[in-house]
Amino acid sequence: MLSRRIFKTVSFQLTAFYSLIFAICFFVLLLTSYVTTTAALRSQMQAEISGQLNAMVSEAETEGLDTIVQDIKERSSQAGSAAGYFFLSDGTGKKLAGNLAGISMKDGWREAGLSDSSVAALGNRSDEDHQIWGQGVHLSDGSFLLVGQDAFRALSAQEAIINSFALSAGAAFLLATLAGVIVSRRFLGRIDDINNTSLAIIDGHLKERIPVRGTSDEIDRLSMNLNRLFDSNQSLLEILKQVSANIAHDLRTPLTRLRQGLEEASSKSGSLRAYKVAIDAAITESDQLLATFAALLRIAQIDSGSRKAGFKHVDLTSIIGRVADAYGAVAEDQGKKLVTNLTPKIYFVGDGELLLQMFANLTENAIRHTPSGTQISVTIENVASGIIASIADSGPGIPEDQREKVFEHFYRVDAARATAGNGLGLALVSAIAKLHGIQIALLDNGPGLKVMISFPS
Amino acid sequence: MKLLLIEDDERMADFIRRGLKEHGHVVDHAANGKDGLFLAASEKYDALIIDRMLPELDGLSILKMLRAAGNHVPAMFLTTMAGIDDRVEGLEAGADDYLVKPFAFAEMLARLGALMRRPPANDVKTELRVGDLEIDLLKRVVRRAGKEIDLQPQEFKLLEYLMRSEGRIVTRTMLLENVWDFHFDPQTSVVETHISRLRSKIDKGFETELLKTMRGIGYSLRA
Repeated sequence: MLSRRIFKTVSFQLTAFYSLIFAICFFVLLLTSYVTTTAALRSQMQAEISGQLNAMVSEAETEGLDTIVQDIKERSSQAGSAAGYFFLSDGTGKKLAGNLAGISMKDGWREAGLSDSSVAALGNRSDEDHQIWGQGVHLSDGSFLLVGQDAFRALSAQEAIINSFALSAGAAFLLATLAGVIVSRRFLGRIDDINNTSLAIIDGHLKERIPVRGTSDEIDRLSMNLNRLFDSNQSLLEILKQVSANIAHDLRTPLTRLRQGLEEASSKSGSLRAYKVAIDAAITESDQLLATFAALLRIAQIDSGSRKAGFKHVDLTSIIGRVADAYGAVAEDQGKKLVTNLTPKIYFVGDGELLLQMFANLTENAIRHTPSGTQISVTIENVASGIIASIADSGPGIPEDQREKVFEHFYRVDAARATAGNGLGLALVSAIAKLHGIQIALLDNGPGLKVMISFPS
Repeated sequence: MKLLLIEDDERMADFIRRGLKEHGHVVDHAANGKDGLFLAASEKYDALIIDRMLPELDGLSILKMLRAAGNHVPAMFLTTMAGIDDRVEGLEAGADDYLVKPFAFAEMLARLGALMRRPPANDVKTELRVGDLEIDLLKRVVRRAGKEIDLQPQEFKLLEYLMRSEGRIVTRTMLLENVWDFHFDPQTSVVETHISRLRSKIDKGFETELLKTMRGIGYSLRA
């Protein structure tokens, strides 16, 4: 299984491709050196042979044929092939001397196997592998002289070249394949890690992560990014779980209340007025349920980020101004005071409707969760780091350990549980802030709570 | 009034149709988008009530086609909560109002009333009068029985809207949308607070009460 997959890996295919290129280069190198070496050896032998021939010819022309007959007889009688091959005939074609027979009397260069019928070596030489390279010439008196040498030297050199190349090519190819297999195995091992981790996560082992080697190569970076993806998925799943649990918990109570109310009205044969009261209570209860659902859907929709498409330049000051105008009277009726300190015409790119709701929710919180006599101050200003808005009150504040939790779905500070509300107001604020890249910090106003809203620049 | 209801949900359609008939309206009903478009284009109606999600042809397409064909009959969209934010899309397609399901029937009636008596865009009345209450929109002066009343800007805006809707019921949601441009449900009594302040200024000390509270439905300004 693994061995078959190795051939399919990218790294193996790359290695194979490079091996092929390497082999082709090797072959071209072999061919060139073979051709040039052969040519050099041949021309060297040619020069040697024709030198010897010329010497013997000039000897025969000056001192007569008998001299070289003697010379040839001496040389031919020497053992081994080093001395060379000779053939001499007179004008009629009758052999005078030499260790070759059956020679065609043609001038010029010839290469022939020892076993060729045209060249028969005399004596004990009948080795078929050997070749004779030689040159023949007619002397002025019509006699014919051929001087030749065994081509064994040249041929064995060629053979040596081919052998050495074949050997080293084989070794190189083996090495390349081995390297390919090793690299692929390493690569495959890491891919297997990724696959196994993914499968484990699919099977529900959400905490599994791909091992990272710390080499920060491509696979490492891929693994790290995938791990981050798994992290964010896991946290989303946990939020989802939390939210479903909260929905189940928080909606069960009003649903049960609704059901009990209706059951009670149905079982008692009450007056028309009693029925009306029961129905009105049921309507109020279901309205609250619907409002909670609507808020949850709205948060989900904001979280999805789809509203970003509608972002426009909006005047934050006028948005906060509208909120302050709407709630100033509400605060006053409850014996609280809403004061503003707004720098005019501060613009921001965002969703005006959502930003309005964000400020409205925060302002309402300050009004609803503080006692009579509280002063609530709303500000917006441009500072060096960007736009900062704040909603501060002199109320009881939020204990430090609960400040982060208030942004969670359905979370309610203990003191706030008595007040009507669905616990989604700040979750909505948080979703709107996240969509706009806004940072919200809950600070101690000593006494009270200061909500600091920092807009991204 | 003659109304066309395009709604595929049988129970919903039945509920709306019966309610509207009880209030003296004539209601035609189409259960899918195609039939709805055919009826809307061929008959003359005072207003259309169109569900956003319909089989065969969705509400948005119906309205776009009608508007493209030059039909400007007032139209109200109905949508489920999931579509809470396609309000803008609906209004851009040519809807005059937008109602999110589930809704109180009184809300629908009030909104239909506002739709059909919506003044033409070129109607620029600068002085309004209900009984002995007068408002001058240019000078921003309010008088009752000749006596000048000092109103805060929010109260003035609220009164202007109520006077424009004279004799009709306006709901809390309608006030939030039209006076404050709030498209969410506040957790505090924004509307009630301003209504009570306005009432104490325009009605307190006078014999007849002009600003009336319709319990569980909304408010109405009438002489």
